[in-house]
Amino acid sequence: MIPRHFQITIALVLLAILISGIVIIRMTHKEEALTLQSSEAAPAAPMVGGKQEHIQLLVAYDEDQALRWRPADVFLPADRNLRARETLRSVLAQYLQTPSPHPLGKGSDIKDVYFISDDTMVVDTTAQFADGHPSGILLEELTLASLIETLTANVPGITKVKFLVDGKERETLAGHADLMSFYQTAAVHEMAKEFE
Amino acid sequence: MRWNRSGIGLAVLAIVALCCARSEDGKTITLQAQTPQALATPLPTEPSKPAVEGQKRAPEFFVMIDPSHGGNDKGARFTGKLVEKDITLRLARELRKELEERGIASRLLRESDIDLSLDRRAEITNEQRAGVYVALHAGRPGKGVRVYAPALADPQQPLAGRFLPWETAQSGALGRSQNVARAVSEELKKKGMTVANLSVPLRPLNNVAVPAIAVELTPDQDNLQSLESQKRQNDVATAIALGIAQIRSETGARP
Repeated sequence: MIPRHFQITIALVLLAILISGIVIIRMTHKEEALTLQSSEAAPAAPMVGGKQEHIQLLVAYDEDQALRWRPADVFLPADRNLRARETLRSVLAQYLQTPSPHPLGKGSDIKDVYFISDDTMVVDTTAQFADGHPSGILLEELTLASLIETLTANVPGITKVKFLVDGKERETLAGHADLMSFYQTAAVHEMAKEFE
Repeated sequence: MRWNRSGIGLAVLAIVALCCARSEDGKTITLQAQTPQALATPLPTEPSKPAVEGQKRAPEFFVMIDPSHGGNDKGARFTGKLVEKDITLRLARELRKELEERGIASRLLRESDIDLSLDRRAEITNEQRAGVYVALHAGRPGKGVRVYAPALADPQQPLAGRFLPWETAQSGALGRSQNVARAVSEELKKKGMTVANLSVPLRPLNNVAVPAIAVELTPDQDNLQSLESQKRQNDVATAIALGIAQIRSETGARP
């Protein structure tokens, strides 16, 4: 026959194992939830370092249908691609704040930018950038002009820009502005003058 | 080897259709590769065909009116029920009436709520050699009416011999498009409307090889119901018709 004190010890050990198991399972679930939450909130591209610079952003204002230069302090890396991406993201950040001068859909971001030649840049945006963009000729043109003008002002040497949406070509931004063409920055500069 | 129906169907699908459209001066041809519809895609039924498809080429000057959007493409949403595609269709019918009253023939690219791709709109306009193409839009923000002339995103794209690149098919008609836009703007101003003139890269204007403009109606004083106002739509349609009539009388059949 098993002594009583030995039975009690085994029961306590089993109880301790059970409680530890429950605690471990709950902690694992909590960790997964936190990881998922942070990945949803994270930008499409990782944050980069760099030197803080005082740059000019061409910001769209829906209220008076205008584009205006605004100063901003932005961390810009030396690498040309990263510099271009961070410049564009700093423009989008203006539109994603509340209240916004030119509201864009939640999740609008720059996934990637890359040069296909010395002077031609392709900008790949998130799907939310186009899917959530308000439809309208003026609203769409203001967005593109704001991005392209800010890009060329802060990243020298770009003469043509093409936009992709989630890695693919799309006919228009939200039903109006042309996304199939390569935008010549000089032509966009002339167009932007009409709104300044 | 024995061919069955599905085999023939697949063979037909393998062919890439080339759509040809001559420019209005008859000197250039616009070519565009078109992917054929999949076998599983049902053939469009009669009501879903574009209003002008199948019509014979008109020998005389006519205006191609494009009520933008349609079908699943609602365009700008103003309220739950008020969407751009419905406003543009009503305005298009009004414009047709006003043009007819001035003896100018016109055609609508869609008469009902159908899907019609941007490329198809340009193809029909080029194929039928319209005298002027007018795209109608409605949007925010602002007040009054905005008149857009096309602007090429890449004006320096080289010409491929006698062929126009699809993305810049408008290049040969840009000056005349600006003339039409200016004439329409003048007429809108005469009616006391606030008018903004802009040049922007828009589809399908840049794929159209004839003079082309876009007219965008905006809510008056943020009153969304003004977009549906019969009087306002009639005023805008009258001004567009007068602008086109004026430029046509100045330059003959070709603006």
